[in-house]
Amino acid sequence: MHPDRAAHDPSPARAAARPGDGPEEGAWYPCSWPDKFTPVAQFLLQGGKVLAVTLTGDAVQAKNGSMVAYDGQMAFKKMSGGGEGLRGMVTRRITGEQLTVMEVKGQGTCYFADRAADISLVRLSGEKLHVEASNLLCTEAALRTGTTFTGVRGAAQGSGLFTTTVEGSGQAALISDGPAVVLRVGQGTPLQVDPGAYVAHTGDLRQSFQSGVSFRTFMGEGSGEAFQVRFEGDGLVYVQPSERNTLGGEI
Amino acid sequence: MSGPTGPSGPAGPGGPAVFDFHTLPSDDNVNPYTFCVDLHGQWFLQKGKMIAYFGQISFNGIGHGPLDRLVSGSFHSPLHASDWVVAEGQGKMLLADRAFDVNSYDLEEGNLTIRSGNLLAFEPTLSLKQSIIPGFLTLIGTGKFVAASNGQVHFVEPPVRVDPQALVGWADCPSPCHHYDHQYMRGVMGGVRALTGLGGASGEEHQFEFSGAGSVLIQSTEVLMPEQATGGVPQQAGGPGGGQQGRSGQPGRTGGQTPRMPGQLGDLQRRFGL
Amino acid sequence: MPFHEINSKLVEARVVPGQRLFSQRGAMIAYRGEVSFTPNRASGQGGVMSMIGRRVAGEAAPLMTVEGNGTVMFGHGGHHIQVVELDGDTLCVEADRLLAFDGSLEQGTMFMGSQGGVMGMVRGQVTGQGLFTTTLKGRGSVAVMAHGGVLELPITPGRPVHVDPQAYVAHHGDVRNKLSTALGWRDMVGRGSGEAFQLELSGDGAVFVQASEEKL
Repeated sequence: MHPDRAAHDPSPARAAARPGDGPEEGAWYPCSWPDKFTPVAQFLLQGGKVLAVTLTGDAVQAKNGSMVAYDGQMAFKKMSGGGEGLRGMVTRRITGEQLTVMEVKGQGTCYFADRAADISLVRLSGEKLHVEASNLLCTEAALRTGTTFTGVRGAAQGSGLFTTTVEGSGQAALISDGPAVVLRVGQGTPLQVDPGAYVAHTGDLRQSFQSGVSFRTFMGEGSGEAFQVRFEGDGLVYVQPSERNTLGGEI
Repeated sequence: MSGPTGPSGPAGPGGPAVFDFHTLPSDDNVNPYTFCVDLHGQWFLQKGKMIAYFGQISFNGIGHGPLDRLVSGSFHSPLHASDWVVAEGQGKMLLADRAFDVNSYDLEEGNLTIRSGNLLAFEPTLSLKQSIIPGFLTLIGTGKFVAASNGQVHFVEPPVRVDPQALVGWADCPSPCHHYDHQYMRGVMGGVRALTGLGGASGEEHQFEFSGAGSVLIQSTEVLMPEQATGGVPQQAGGPGGGQQGRSGQPGRTGGQTPRMPGQLGDLQRRFGL
Repeated sequence: MPFHEINSKLVEARVVPGQRLFSQRGAMIAYRGEVSFTPNRASGQGGVMSMIGRRVAGEAAPLMTVEGNGTVMFGHGGHHIQVVELDGDTLCVEADRLLAFDGSLEQGTMFMGSQGGVMGMVRGQVTGQGLFTTTLKGRGSVAVMAHGGVLELPITPGRPVHVDPQAYVAHHGDVRNKLSTALGWRDMVGRGSGEAFQLELSGDGAVFVQASEEKL
């Protein structure tokens, strides 16, 4: 943990908070932070399923309705997904994606969680993160989000041909059903992923559609072929220990 | 493990660990919900439980011709044949099941009976048979298997009485018998139920009673893990799907059946053991 | 009688003669020894008032009395379990989140409308709990269920905590509650929607928040 962050841990999860054993006033809160502190949202995981974001006047974007609690002053603003401007409008039109994002701005600590999903923090420094729209919980204001065409995997998932991209420098929080496993794909070690377990990827990766997996069983049950996504190149793939329901990916 | 080399470096402080083909554990858990099989040869695998793999692995249905010998040696549950595949090849394969806890178990010249919906995968050195208790499978021999549970599995020693729906399995001890709590059934709810038939059976009035020496495996749920029909006795507490209909309205992970492709016979086929 | 946490989803309690436990019906996972389970709706001391409270509130949380000599394991639906030790103070918790609790604790129902007037009335509708919330007072242990684990947030004077009613689990200490709405929140979720409000908890104590907006 970053030493600065440890010192200003805004929210001691399960702190001893019995009456008479109360916390020292002001020990954790941003109001006691030095003036020279630059307003950058601090992301901190609370036990894997709750994200605490400390704001000092700056803003983050988060999945709509994912706020579970906050202290201090917060303002919420509805935003539409797909990025800003004309491009965002066009992609929204094409994808039909009702990406509901809210902007949270204020002073204090805001806690985010979504249906007990596990959260992974990703720190980006200039590269691009591809993520299923439903798996993105929160991004720093400095990051740009957009939509890209990914074709292949989308087809297998039947959930549209587009995924969300996050670009820039800053932190993003991903959610997954169960803690995500991060797998490195390198030269000579391509990776096959069940489309229902795919969460996100970064790096220079080529995706291809693999349907060479057959189930020949009695009476033709499951004679439909299972789809997998093959990642080749150099990068990281996030998978979750769970499968969304997919039409393909029967294994 | 060496730090991230590429431009993408999410494995910073607090970030998740990154695994590659070589650093993935061999036949061990990656985290409490993901198990990595280091495959050299064959494993039996329930459909839909493989989330990712490195290497050269092919997957074939149990009925696939060339596998006949393997199946005749290790797989003796025709009711489940359509739910299982054989993974064959070399590589590392990640197994998971709806973010439930997964664990591997080693049997040495032993036997263990497990709820069919909880068993994810097993080595062909083990032999799989249908238990006399509906909805349960027995593994016999020496080898490793992987099972899922809702929450960590808790081991207890007999004598103990267990809510049938919280039972994952048992090893070494004799098969359980039924125990009915008459005081509970005489009570208000029991009376209401007897009169109206409403309410369904609950673990407080009917348990599985274990005795003898051995281990009983318990999971922390009263909602059955959604499982495939197993040809058991329906509408009976303790059986597969017993009381499940009445509970399907509960929140949680119920009703997670995978959609069927057109032309599949599905449960009907399973029930007839085709 | 404290609960022993076996893992995040299972607790074990020792039952001795002369002391009883209350638990949610259907929450027993396994037991050893001679233990009896008796279903009851009015759940002991709460008596008629408590029962009426639940009726009015539409809270159907049938309890059972656990007595005898042995150990009992509790769990429910794979939900995470949080054990709260009470040392003379009062815990406010929704009835259907109670997994099991010490029989010596004094049960009651709190009429939420008494705090915060009309807004308090609305709150009952907001949380879907009705106007009554169960209170437990005294010295003993309470096992509370939550979807995805809980986070305990301290409430200190001058530093109120705002909680999404859907994620609220329980609170204790000298805490006042009222409804509030954050700037812009109402525009976002739509006017008139019950979710347009947050619970504002102020005073001195702590609130338990779950990692999910899903009700149990």
